[in-house]
Amino acid sequence: MKKSILIALMAVAALLASATTLHAQVTYERLRNAPGEPQNWLTYSGRYSGWRYSTLDQINVNNAAHLAMRWAFQVGDLGQFETTPLVVDGVIYGSGQNNRAFAIDARTGRALWRYQRNLPDKLQICCGMDNRGLAILGDRLFMATLDGHVVALEAKTGNLLWDVTAADYRKAYSFTLAPLVVKNEVIVGVSGGEYGVRGFIDAYDAATGKRLWRFDTVPGPGAPGHESWSGDSWKTGGAPAWITGTFDPELNLIYWPTGNPAPSNYGGDRAGDNLYSNSMLALDADTGQLKWYFQFTPHDLYDYDATQIPVLVDANWEGQPRKLLVQANRNGFYYVLDRTNGKFLFATPYGNVTWAKGIDAAGKPIVNDALVAKPEGTRVCPGATGLTNWYSPSFDPDTSLLYVATSNECDIFTNSPQQYRAGHDFIGSVYVPDPEERPSGSLKALDVHTGEVKWSFPFFSNPWGGVLSTAGGVVFVGAADGNFIALDARTGSDLWHVQLGAAIYSTAVTFEVAGKQYVLIPSGSALFAFALQ
Amino acid sequence: MSSQPKIFRAVLLLLFLSLVGSTSSSKAQTAKPPGIAIARRAAEVREGASLFRANCSPCHGLGAYGGGRGPDLTSGRWTHGSSDEAIFATITHGVPGTEMPANAFEDSEVRAIIAYLRSLAPSKDEAITGNAKNGDRLFHGSAACGTCHMVSGSGGLLGPDLSRVGAARSVTYLVDSIRDPNKDLSLGMTDPNDHYGLPLLYDTVTVTTNSGEKILGVARNEDTFSVQLMATDQRLHFFLKSEVKSVVHERASLMPPYPETFLSASDLNDIVAYLVTLRGQRVEAPGAK
Repeated sequence: MKKSILIALMAVAALLASATTLHAQVTYERLRNAPGEPQNWLTYSGRYSGWRYSTLDQINVNNAAHLAMRWAFQVGDLGQFETTPLVVDGVIYGSGQNNRAFAIDARTGRALWRYQRNLPDKLQICCGMDNRGLAILGDRLFMATLDGHVVALEAKTGNLLWDVTAADYRKAYSFTLAPLVVKNEVIVGVSGGEYGVRGFIDAYDAATGKRLWRFDTVPGPGAPGHESWSGDSWKTGGAPAWITGTFDPELNLIYWPTGNPAPSNYGGDRAGDNLYSNSMLALDADTGQLKWYFQFTPHDLYDYDATQIPVLVDANWEGQPRKLLVQANRNGFYYVLDRTNGKFLFATPYGNVTWAKGIDAAGKPIVNDALVAKPEGTRVCPGATGLTNWYSPSFDPDTSLLYVATSNECDIFTNSPQQYRAGHDFIGSVYVPDPEERPSGSLKALDVHTGEVKWSFPFFSNPWGGVLSTAGGVVFVGAADGNFIALDARTGSDLWHVQLGAAIYSTAVTFEVAGKQYVLIPSGSALFAFALQ
Repeated sequence: MSSQPKIFRAVLLLLFLSLVGSTSSSKAQTAKPPGIAIARRAAEVREGASLFRANCSPCHGLGAYGGGRGPDLTSGRWTHGSSDEAIFATITHGVPGTEMPANAFEDSEVRAIIAYLRSLAPSKDEAITGNAKNGDRLFHGSAACGTCHMVSGSGGLLGPDLSRVGAARSVTYLVDSIRDPNKDLSLGMTDPNDHYGLPLLYDTVTVTTNSGEKILGVARNEDTFSVQLMATDQRLHFFLKSEVKSVVHERASLMPPYPETFLSASDLNDIVAYLVTLRGQRVEAPGAK
């Protein structure tokens, strides 16, 4: 080929590339203004404030009964399909079991590419080979992997762009969460609280994969909070950070919740409050430095991870406009904090709670000492899986309600010490559901100001899926019995449901393409898309 | 199974060392004073106990005396082989066709669990004194157990299939289940809704239709909007919850209790003796020798 033709072809290719790339660019500004483009779903929670709310209203209380399936996409691995898909300009990006990833045409469900990570044989993953989703910036997707890496994929092809090691999977460090992108940072938190990891939150440069900062969720020697661990227990202290945080661009603070101290069900060898386990952390978005923390469950014995999405709400509080952070915590209490400084404002139980008699004025639980686990077992509510768990809540500004899927289960906790062995279970004991009570669940609508339960919709089984609310006045929730359900946001009455044949372990998202609003829900090994007939 | 030759080699090595030590060398003797071996064994039993509690006790009970789902492991009856090698294979590979799953333990962990099980005092299971043949007659005859329970393909559909109950339950459990069925309720089919794959409980369910008819039975399945009921007439009934007046669960067995006035101690012994013989079709665990 002649050199001049080659140069001309290269120039054309470069032009084409730049034209399409520009079209597909998801800038930080777009992420920050995600509520302004409701046709897309750009981040894990749909917007930085963690609301999981959409202003789309084509599907509404009057017509939700006419929802019908438009397509299904089979991922290929049966199991706990936990992804929250992203939707960007007509393309859906999601992840599956075993660190699969995929891109599909949002209108037809046809795949554009598939990716699967080559994982090592022997992985210690607590609760399934799960992944909760991808993050996007520019024309790159980011996935945090089960073997402790963070990878960047090219959005149009799924090609691997960079791959960095964050932690050692042989010591049972892993990632299951969807990353949070803030500015040029890809932020991830580690899993492995069942194996005595030392938790951390990392930020990586989206362009290069270079690590920009790390915040250790168990403070090392000399750092404030280190004194809250006896002896060397901090080295295996857990406090993983396995759910995606939220972000306030004005305060430039990232809110990231942490999980249990390890071993989760035996505290005899880790005397102290065990900071920063079961806490809300507010980190400077640029440096990862701790601005404030609030610990929900000090010296936890029941596996009450605080890994529920922090929801950021601006509201009047005692007559004054205030920047709030609300969380319906796994420990059974609904909390309201001031998100500028972490000040505790209010807490109230939102279900059956026996482990604590209440929360004092400083925000500390008043622990029911009579129920501390005994070797032969003690019945405690909520059970180890919590009154709620990692599945997303949703805040609806139209109703001022926080929708929370809840589990009605009490467990018998036993208590026994355990030696730490790297890469092995480090739980301390065992719990079983109270055999006299079949676990069940419900979707509860909490008044965001008071925590009062305004309505409740019962599930036959305890749930593993979260909630999406929409301006159409419809709330979507997936039940563990395979039902995908649309409820009236104001009353909780059932508008429509469909049995999908496998437990739902994720939360719906909604988007619009070619003038039609869709609702997406993963179940089993398939992603289902519903729209009006 | 790589671990069995390893165990075998270790045993040979110890045997060799002890022989050498006793005959010629004093070095081998100082290397392993008996106190260390005992302490190591105690640590192994402790580790096994901890592993057992975390992984096995949900089915086999906290003390390995049997739960609603897994057999008593202290009875001395090992359906799938009683040697260390056979138990090793059962733990590692599970037992196909039963609820015993395969487990991804390391070899040393399996050995610790076996050491723990071996350390347990045998259960005070009553000796089986009854006449199994007479028990068989009673089961399928006057005691009417077979009306609801199936054994090897014949019998009723309402209660659990008892074809391998002898391998899965202790004598004490069997006696309790007959005299007082509510004492420790069995579990039904695996609940497809449950995160842990736990079975549905054998709840008694009463559906009241809009016309007021009450249908009593056991739920074969249920979700938020529907229930699939095996009624006492052993027919299947399917209901949408929106189309009936109520669906009420009761934590009680549909099985009637058999007090002494109903079933003499001697007849009970005979039935239990019969049940203990029910071991289903023997399924070899892969790798078991």
